[in-house]
Amino acid sequence: MELPMAGLGTVGEALSRQGVSRRSLLKYGSYLATLMALPAGSGRAIAQALADARRQSVIWLSFQECTGCIESLTRSYSPSVEEMIFNLISLDYQETLQAAAGHAAEAAREAAMEANRGDYVVVVDGSVSTLDNGIYSTAAGRTNLDVLRETARDAKAVIAIGTCASFGGLPAAQPNPTGAVPVTEIITDKPIINVPGCPPMPEVMAGTIAYLVTFGTIPDLDHLNRPKPFFGDTIHDRCYRRPFYEQGKFAKSFDDEGAREGWCLYEVGCKGPTTYNSCATMKWNGGTSFPIQSGHGCLGCSEPNFWDAGSFYSALPTRVGVDDRVLPAALAGGAVLGAGAALAARARKKAALQQQAGAVTGVSATREGSEA
Amino acid sequence: MADAVEREIRQHLAALAQHGTETTIDLRSLPLSDADRAALQELLGKGEVAATINAMGTSEIWETSHAGVWWVRHCGTEGQVMSELVEIAFVPEVLKADPADVKAAAEKWARKRDVIAVD
Repeated sequence: MELPMAGLGTVGEALSRQGVSRRSLLKYGSYLATLMALPAGSGRAIAQALADARRQSVIWLSFQECTGCIESLTRSYSPSVEEMIFNLISLDYQETLQAAAGHAAEAAREAAMEANRGDYVVVVDGSVSTLDNGIYSTAAGRTNLDVLRETARDAKAVIAIGTCASFGGLPAAQPNPTGAVPVTEIITDKPIINVPGCPPMPEVMAGTIAYLVTFGTIPDLDHLNRPKPFFGDTIHDRCYRRPFYEQGKFAKSFDDEGAREGWCLYEVGCKGPTTYNSCATMKWNGGTSFPIQSGHGCLGCSEPNFWDAGSFYSALPTRVGVDDRVLPAALAGGAVLGAGAALAARARKKAALQQQAGAVTGVSATREGSEA
Repeated sequence: MADAVEREIRQHLAALAQHGTETTIDLRSLPLSDADRAALQELLGKGEVAATINAMGTSEIWETSHAGVWWVRHCGTEGQVMSELVEIAFVPEVLKADPADVKAAAEKWARKRDVIAVD
């Protein structure tokens, strides 16, 4: 059997075969520099590094998921994101996209692992069932748990795509009937990059993989293993409605005057202050809009345990134990929080995480109780 | 906001004139609204040169009314803006032919001539 390694080559060679010019690569390099908040002049260096880089062997495993993550990437508004990312990588296994099926598909995964031992990247979307040894989610007669352990053993790194793989997501929501856990609870001896979101932004997925291919290393990560270039700011930090928050102007319901005037959605449950993601700057559908711009608060889908963190329509302070001074000060009207608002957002974030950690522990306890 | 960026561009242009130092400013990384970008574009104006690149979508490049200050807008295949830069340089980077592309073109042309000669 011909091993997948034979088809890798460099990204530059792959692009050249398709008639894609280096000028296109430079353009993409500029785009990546923008995405990753790198110095603007680094587009040329990125393009050159990409051209010389070997195409990265990727084994993509789909577990307890809805296929929304791969849909987000492959049906992104900009085909160039999808096309370019598939030039950067050699996708050696992906159940939804691959032509092979059955034993041939599993053989392709095993061949890619053998040919690229220690150098391939495992991408996971979906959480991992662990209850009763993971029998609630299987493929090809094997549990996800078993396949993940086997595949990650010789991987260079693991990228957990989506909130399910990163934090457990909806499958782990109470009562968590399958004992769903994130990748980090199973794989503890490999670098793991979490790219949460339900689904993640296509540009964030593409940018993370491109970073890995370009620099041969993982980007700086935050305390939840999320790439800082994309998860460095809260939605609130970069929200165009932020000035209304600082002026104390809030929509009280979705059809009142404040909502029509485009005021801050904080009081109708927006989770932007505690949610780290790039939606407010990159926006969805080719930069068209994002939930807050469409009139709905952020759900906080890129944060741990977002599904169990209380109502989407309850204001944050009642849910995450925000410093009592924040809301009254804002409601007093015209409270100028300024830079202090950013600090308060960080404080709320910390409080939210503490509460979420407690909630996650509760879920674990439930699962353990079920197992018992 | 546009005024602040304009001042920065002015300083970089002085550096280009005095030391040949080229700089790129990524407008999409700055907290600029569409209105801010439009105001900056208005402030800089348009100069003598404009170019269009058709590679992975369209890119528009024009020299502003200040020689050496270029506005570069890269769009994707469906017209969405991917990146928007102000380059302070003698020639924008993306307009230059890449040595790898030049080499490939020369080899392709040579092969084509060989085929014609054989025929």
